[in-house]
Amino acid sequence: MSNFMNHPYHLVDKSPWPLLSAFSVMSLVTGLAKWFHTFNVSLVAFSLFATTLIMIQWWRDVVREGTYQGLHTIQVGVGLRWGMILFITSEVLFFMSFFWAFFHSSLAPAVELGSSWPPAGIKPFNPFQIPLLNTAILLASGVTVTWSHHALMQNNYTQGLQGLVATVFLGLYFTSLQALEYYEAPFSIADAVYGSTFFVATGFHGLHVIIGTAFLLVCLIRHMFNHFSSTHHFGFEAAAWYWHFVDVVWLFLFISIYWWGN
Amino acid sequence: MASVLGKVVSRGISTTRVASGQAAVSGHQDGWKLWRKLTFLVALPGVALCMLNVYLGLDDVEAHSAPPFVPYDYMRIRNKRFPWGDGQKSLFHNPHVNALPSGYEHTDEHH
Repeated sequence: MSNFMNHPYHLVDKSPWPLLSAFSVMSLVTGLAKWFHTFNVSLVAFSLFATTLIMIQWWRDVVREGTYQGLHTIQVGVGLRWGMILFITSEVLFFMSFFWAFFHSSLAPAVELGSSWPPAGIKPFNPFQIPLLNTAILLASGVTVTWSHHALMQNNYTQGLQGLVATVFLGLYFTSLQALEYYEAPFSIADAVYGSTFFVATGFHGLHVIIGTAFLLVCLIRHMFNHFSSTHHFGFEAAAWYWHFVDVVWLFLFISIYWWGN
Repeated sequence: MASVLGKVVSRGISTTRVASGQAAVSGHQDGWKLWRKLTFLVALPGVALCMLNVYLGLDDVEAHSAPPFVPYDYMRIRNKRFPWGDGQKSLFHNPHVNALPSGYEHTDEHH
């Protein structure tokens, strides 16, 4: 099939992934509700597997279209940038709802909780132990991803690789430390509204760290396959934008929930 | 009005990419060196200091011990069982520091 077109836009080929992904995420959320009500995990487990496979194949196709078929012109790139910006914006609003919930409960603590925050009986984390370390780790990872980006822009393959490896490593280090914190926590998600707000907000953040780390890992692998040029590497930029967003959300979490909320 | 705003923002987005392209060509050759220096002289030492701080804080028994069990009704809520195991333990349940609604499990006595 010829790539000839006398316009700079990408009219995509027919693909099964949009419809199939709609079915798989629908069955994923249905499966989640079924699990919580009937304690049967089969539907959610199968749907998670299917959704993962579909995501891999759809994004694989986008990489093929952009990197191998040359269909990502500057105008297509503008559209992709808008898409990523709008997506990240929607995620900002998603997190704002959890911060709203946190401040709703913590600014005027209910008399039933002892009119205090943290509620009586809850022993919060010392913010200047592992949470502070996690802050340093994410800030450092923002520096390393910038190191990698500049190296990419200057066509320095090795430095680009090193920066990206450092960033992925820091992301994994953060996730392991948070998992350790979750296990060592003297309070659970079921311990008053403190536990609910803490674990829902930090839990969704942790999920986004894992997603961001996976995105960066994909960029690392693509870099090893020489997919990025010094002027054209939007996948990398999108991953870096997402990673900075994850870092900023953590800073808000650290300051409000860990520090102010202590 | 809206289209003018749209054009300005779109140009802002595409010039970001063009400007980063120019960084590859003109004076700015060693931007990565600055960020690598920041990594090894500021960022990673900062992480190391925080790691040291955590290590030094591990001895604090009070900070790492289980809180005394008080049967507050807003704690250890079990309106619906957890959808795993016996439904009484949270996902990251740690018997040393997480009490069940009836109190701490008596597996071994050193908290």
